[in-house]
Amino acid sequence: MSELVRSPTGMVGLALLSVVAVAVVFGSVLAPYDPQAFHPAVRLTGPSAAHWLGTDQFGRDIFSRLLTGASSTILFGVGATALGVLAGSVIGVTAGVVGGWVDSVIMRTLDGLLAVPDLLFTLLIVTFLGGGAGEAMLAVAVAFTPGMARIARSSVLSIRTREYVLAAVARDESQAYIIGQEVIPNAIGPIIVEATIRVSFAIMIGATLGFLGLGAQPPSTEWGLMVAEARQYMYRSPWVVAVPGIAIAVSALGFNLFGDALRDAFVTRGRR
Amino acid sequence: MPARDGIAAQCSVLDIRDYTLDYETPHGVPVQALRNVSLSIRPGRTMGLVGESGSGKTSLAWAIMRYLPANAAERSGRIELLGEDLRTKSDEEVQNLRGRRISMVFQDPGTSLNPVLRLGEQIAEALTRHRGFSAKEAREESEAWLARTGISRPADMMNRYPHEASGGEKQRVVIATAFACNPEVIIFDEPTTALDIITARQILDLFDDLHDETGVTALYISHDLGLVSRVAQDIAMIDRGEIVEQGACEEVFGRPRHEYTRGLLAAVPHPDRRIVDAAPAAAGNLLDLKGVNVSYGERKSILGFLEPKREVVRGARDVSFGVKPGEILGIVGESGSGKSTLAKVLAGLQEFEGTVEFDSRTYSRRRDIDREYRRTVQIVFQHPDASLNPRQTIGKILSRPLKLYNQLSRSEIARRIRELLRSVLLPEEYSARFPHELSGGEKQRVAIARAFAAEPQLVICDEITSSLDVSVQAAVARLLVELQQQTGTACLFITHDLNLVRQLAHRIAVMQNGDLVDLFETSQARAEERHSYTRQLLDAVPVLLDSGRQGRDS
Repeated sequence: MSELVRSPTGMVGLALLSVVAVAVVFGSVLAPYDPQAFHPAVRLTGPSAAHWLGTDQFGRDIFSRLLTGASSTILFGVGATALGVLAGSVIGVTAGVVGGWVDSVIMRTLDGLLAVPDLLFTLLIVTFLGGGAGEAMLAVAVAFTPGMARIARSSVLSIRTREYVLAAVARDESQAYIIGQEVIPNAIGPIIVEATIRVSFAIMIGATLGFLGLGAQPPSTEWGLMVAEARQYMYRSPWVVAVPGIAIAVSALGFNLFGDALRDAFVTRGRR
Repeated sequence: MPARDGIAAQCSVLDIRDYTLDYETPHGVPVQALRNVSLSIRPGRTMGLVGESGSGKTSLAWAIMRYLPANAAERSGRIELLGEDLRTKSDEEVQNLRGRRISMVFQDPGTSLNPVLRLGEQIAEALTRHRGFSAKEAREESEAWLARTGISRPADMMNRYPHEASGGEKQRVVIATAFACNPEVIIFDEPTTALDIITARQILDLFDDLHDETGVTALYISHDLGLVSRVAQDIAMIDRGEIVEQGACEEVFGRPRHEYTRGLLAAVPHPDRRIVDAAPAAAGNLLDLKGVNVSYGERKSILGFLEPKREVVRGARDVSFGVKPGEILGIVGESGSGKSTLAKVLAGLQEFEGTVEFDSRTYSRRRDIDREYRRTVQIVFQHPDASLNPRQTIGKILSRPLKLYNQLSRSEIARRIRELLRSVLLPEEYSARFPHELSGGEKQRVAIARAFAAEPQLVICDEITSSLDVSVQAAVARLLVELQQQTGTACLFITHDLNLVRQLAHRIAVMQNGDLVDLFETSQARAEERHSYTRQLLDAVPVLLDSGRQGRDS
């Protein structure tokens, strides 16, 4: 942990994530206005003392909307990634541990799925499941599964041939003990690192789906949806689009930097 | 030996005075790599620099080559090449110096050659750069040098890429490159450690020949005292960054003054210094291998066509031998000879054909191997870093075999763990520690304790000392023999160190390319009827004599 804080990327990532975390947890309490309240008198005004980040086309306070939208946007990313990692890990660990033709079948299937770009794959699933925040989250999770499975499998394969695992096999430990106690605790590092970095992709895909009208639905304050709704006023009042856009970029950057620093910390520890 | 022009025989070619080097760390406390090192090599001599891992011998080589990492801090001293202080040279001057006046031969020829350049180009590059040769001249000279290093078809070798040459051939190319510009000093950093026994011997012979021929001054870095006594005239012993003793080879090894040298000399395995008692007399065999075959790369699954095509490699071919109760059987061979394959078969980690008879039970395939067999046959692996789970404490690691094979209560397990730690001479507090808090030798002791925890009848030791330093190696070997004699457990000791195996094995089996070619009583190692390969192996290994001179044992 101390190594994490010492590296500049880790520090910046951690700082950004703390800001985002505050918004997620206390967003709706901190919001100065009701995020859904219309103020027709102050439509599309720029940043001012009353409205720090300006107002949108209905006169809603953007700062309040941003704060309340943090939880749905970020939790979407975290939730989708968690689901994807869980499913991917189970599949990847199974493939890595069982090996043989099971491994071949699983991996070749996943390779096929990996050939489809994440966003396209997600769109396909959303079209199939129908729009909505829950469906979109599921779609991102499914799209992430093949990639995570591949990482989990390679991690397991590299651990499986370690001598301490061979020692466990040689002394006739049960398969469950070997996987649970010897393999997974040592294979988990790269999976966690990859998951952290993937949260940023999930946030961006979620925002994209919101923007395309396939994710969260109005009047949700999800950031991607905020960008989409404000799009037609972009030339007149650029901040309406820029503010949620920057918020998405900053939280994605936070997860990305933090993940990078996490990986560096894991790698140095492994070397020692 | 031809004397070089303009160099008086008394003065030194390379003279290091009072050199101190630290490495800065992010925690603020610098690591001392070298402390007040003074070393001088006279013209035409070979200085052997001997030390264990972490002693600073490679740091010294890099300091001479002026290739130090950014966090290196040179505190004091001078490094003089024929009176010129290398520390005052500019980067450009240093670049002109490297390869032309000082060159270096590295440990692993596989990584010191550029894989995308033809071997010929790599030698020629040094010649065009430092001696101003035209491309054609450089080619001819390179070919001539390759011929001198004993490569049979130099013109052919010039056109090959590194992956098309064997390890020995590659090291010859590296050596040819080092000698090609007639440098004043060549640094050899463990040039034979990554090579097989017989290839290493050939490289050593080549070194001798070229050294006699060119009269170059050499610094030969190694951890192997036997080897150094063979190649060097002068010796410097380095311990934790300090040169503790320096002098002529006969002097240092024959009458060592410093206790570090004495300790290291005592730890060097010597075939005449046996550390085991005679094998107990036994009628039958504990373990019998009959016609064991192992092949790698065969298609096992119906969906095998999905996997890339592989060549079938024979890991073991029709291997048969027996192990008596309480006996230490040594298995020796070069890498790829199949000795580790046998270890895996016996530990139940490898599919095999043929039969394994153990304690009057017969096993004819891996899946037959049951818990009873696995309890009575234990294995200790080569790498202590990899054989202990980094996420488990030592106590937990040692408790596994106890929980698995015996129904012991919690307090009994704790008592047994303490006993086990004591038996391998480790403090009891270690049970709460994690593997990364232990040194390599300590980890290997834990691995040995884990093997003996199951009270086995046979322990397989797969190169258990080869990744350890000389002094640690001797202590681990002694400990193993002690435990083995106390418990009466039989032991299969797999190694490539012929001197060590002759110290502790009762019988020795020799493997070559998957075949068992020879099996004999250790005392009969030098007998007439030995297989030619066995004799080749024995002749290839330098033995350090008590007088300090290297010689062939009788």
